[in-house]
Amino acid sequence: MHDARDAEDQRKLEAGEYVALLESYYGVMLDRSRVKVRREDDAVAVAAEVAIRLLSELKRGRRYRVPFRVVVHQVIKWKAKEHFARGKIDEVDLEDWLRKASTESTDELEGDRGFEGLIDGLTELEQEVLRLRYVEDLDFQEIAKRLAKEPNAVHQIHHRALTKLRKEAA
Amino acid sequence: MSEVQLETLFDEYATRYLRGERPDVREYLQRAGAEREEFCRLVDRFLEAVPAREPTEEDVVIMQARIEQQPPILVLRLRRALSREAVVAALVDRLRLDPAKSGKVAGYYHALEVGNLDPEPVSRRVWDVLAELLSANVRWLAGLRPEGPAAAVAYRREPTLMQAKLDRAAPVGAATEVAEPDEIDMLFTGSA
Repeated sequence: MHDARDAEDQRKLEAGEYVALLESYYGVMLDRSRVKVRREDDAVAVAAEVAIRLLSELKRGRRYRVPFRVVVHQVIKWKAKEHFARGKIDEVDLEDWLRKASTESTDELEGDRGFEGLIDGLTELEQEVLRLRYVEDLDFQEIAKRLAKEPNAVHQIHHRALTKLRKEAA
Repeated sequence: MSEVQLETLFDEYATRYLRGERPDVREYLQRAGAEREEFCRLVDRFLEAVPAREPTEEDVVIMQARIEQQPPILVLRLRRALSREAVVAALVDRLRLDPAKSGKVAGYYHALEVGNLDPEPVSRRVWDVLAELLSANVRWLAGLRPEGPAAAVAYRREPTLMQAKLDRAAPVGAATEVAEPDEIDMLFTGSA
């Protein structure tokens, strides 16, 4: 799901195209900030903080052993937290995480999973329904056919998976 | 909104996103109403997990403006490689204003562009011309304040060019030098 994007990010990193690389994440920086922070002005401020922080990291020569997108999402989380804390109390933790990301492998860090793999508590079937719906873009009828189930059953599995996701995210 | 409606809303957002559309998350947040928090949780996890969509130009303008601490409309105009004079000429022409009063329009436009003019009472006719000329939701961009966090110096790609363009702009407050209220005042301030 992420391979092409990761490869393009890597190319930009190696070519030193840092601003272009970051610009390609502006949409998600803004949208995730919008769902984390209520006011539009605050969301834009958080997203800008993320971009500035990452650019400063890249310009300082930091390289990561995890895909760049994982780093982007982690910095979004920290900057949103920082916004609510109205200070820099988490800066040390962020530094730690970024240092880890530049020295440890992907498996040792959170955030490098597909949508269907985000929650540990999902059954295989629930994961498969989410994958078919949100990766393969199948409608519920098609998923039912693929899994040899009734469409109603697929709806229920989908509902259970999203409920777990909401609870886990809360 | 019931749980089912919430999930249907999320499903609509997610499938549109994955099909390469650019669903506006702000619109969906409004539609979620009282279930906004629940909707946010789903979308947050979703956005973390799926490949990032390409930003819209509006995204880039908003971010660039914030990072460089420049007014969004100014950033947008410079991205379009349009001079302020060209925008003013288009306003005068399309709003059928007296060309002899271009200076007054220029003053108002400058104040609007740099965030010194309240966008609220500005006529829809003005926004329509600007939207067409700059190909963006200029009215919305005007509502965003230019102040932002300390900009990373390294982010300023063309500081000299930007500053030169700013320096050539009309002095702030030019619009207030007008002696007699007229149609132009009505268009930009809602009162004559």
